[in-house]
Amino acid sequence: MGFNVGNLRNKIGNLGPIFLLYFLSITEIDTQFSDLFEILSFNLQIIIIYYWVLRNPSVIGNGNIFFAGIINDVITGLPLGTSSLCYLVVSLVASYIKNVTVNVTLFTDWFTFLIAIFFSNLTYIILILNFSEYEYNYIELLYNSFFTFLFFPAFWVVFNFYKKIVYIKYDD
Amino acid sequence: MSTNRDDFGIAIRSALLQRGAGQKFSLFVFICLSILIFFLDSFPSRAMDISRSVINDSIYRVSMMSSSPFKFINLLKNKTVIHFNVRKENIELKNELEILRNKDFNLEFLASENKRLKEKLVSSTEKKYNYVTAKVIIDKNSPFLKSVILNRGTKSGSKKGMPVLDGNYLVGRIVETNYLSSRVLLLNDLNSRIPVTFGDIPVQAIMTGDGRDKPRLEYLPENFEPLEKETVFTSGKDGIFSPGIPVGKTLFEKESIKVKLFSDPNQLSYLNIILTDLSKKEIF
Repeated sequence: MGFNVGNLRNKIGNLGPIFLLYFLSITEIDTQFSDLFEILSFNLQIIIIYYWVLRNPSVIGNGNIFFAGIINDVITGLPLGTSSLCYLVVSLVASYIKNVTVNVTLFTDWFTFLIAIFFSNLTYIILILNFSEYEYNYIELLYNSFFTFLFFPAFWVVFNFYKKIVYIKYDD
Repeated sequence: MSTNRDDFGIAIRSALLQRGAGQKFSLFVFICLSILIFFLDSFPSRAMDISRSVINDSIYRVSMMSSSPFKFINLLKNKTVIHFNVRKENIELKNELEILRNKDFNLEFLASENKRLKEKLVSSTEKKYNYVTAKVIIDKNSPFLKSVILNRGTKSGSKKGMPVLDGNYLVGRIVETNYLSSRVLLLNDLNSRIPVTFGDIPVQAIMTGDGRDKPRLEYLPENFEPLEKETVFTSGKDGIFSPGIPVGKTLFEKESIKVKLFSDPNQLSYLNIILTDLSKKEIF
């Protein structure tokens, strides 16, 4: 029943990805860099969800994914539930991949991430095209998906490093 | 073959229904909830409108507060840049002032002539705008939707369709209203269509957003050869925007005629919502 420093660090460390997910959804901070390069934009929320559901599902719960999506919809002006559903689809693919794979490598995660992006975008397009009045630019979506896929390994390394700091050091 | 299908089914079922440590609901529950919320939001009802308005207002306030430290950093950065540019700008302004002084005499004559002509002509453009000033509280860049959130809602008289100006220049129109906030669809958004006019022999066109900073002009007359740097104004053909609101200047880019907006859509801080009486007008 004594005070466990390792446990405390673990709990605070667990809050990091959730905080980042909510932070990206609710603040004006975005991952669009059209000032640097006209077509450069990516979806960091999807990367966070996919990585953490795949590597440690207890860190980001389904409820947090759902609420982050709702907040994102409100801020960006999309019909409520659109982003939630897309994020949950990413989570579903990640959970499925987690159930059927044993080996963990950057390459397998990266490859399977493509499936998650595909189904997430498919859900998005179906919802927007059929049930809303918004017009849509497929090229923008393609660029966004491409850069999201391209940057995944970089964030995979960063998150892996973060996980090592938070989850391994306290055993020392 | 059937074993593979069974494995797939088991893995999907497990992914959908399993609840991890500390999780009260499965993924399936949240997917159903998202679909339900989406459909409730897509088919408008009074209850959902009120709920959405309350949710929007609350989240916008939290977003504004959580974004304020970053806005402050941006402000500091901009102020520093302005400070270092002020000397160079001063020289440029002095030169500009000299040119403007020379033009002033000519302008005086034209102004008096214009006044005389206006007195003879009963014009709808003479109506003064009734407007309310609003602050941009959220300006989140999205690759798909170009919009900003203002801190004025139905409480201040804001309604869907109302034009929004940055100073004297058009920047967009209201597309969503809540009690304390409104969303402005910017001119460069893919969903924006504004009837405009430009040139000495007034040419009518539709200015269409394409997601980039410069909207393009469409539905121009056949064999039309436009000039660059002609001022584009609203034509008022939609019945919503008053005619003659300046929008931008024409320019050629990638074999199409675009409009360089007077007001940079990425640098908006205080805007004016024109309180037009939309009940007598058809929403465009």
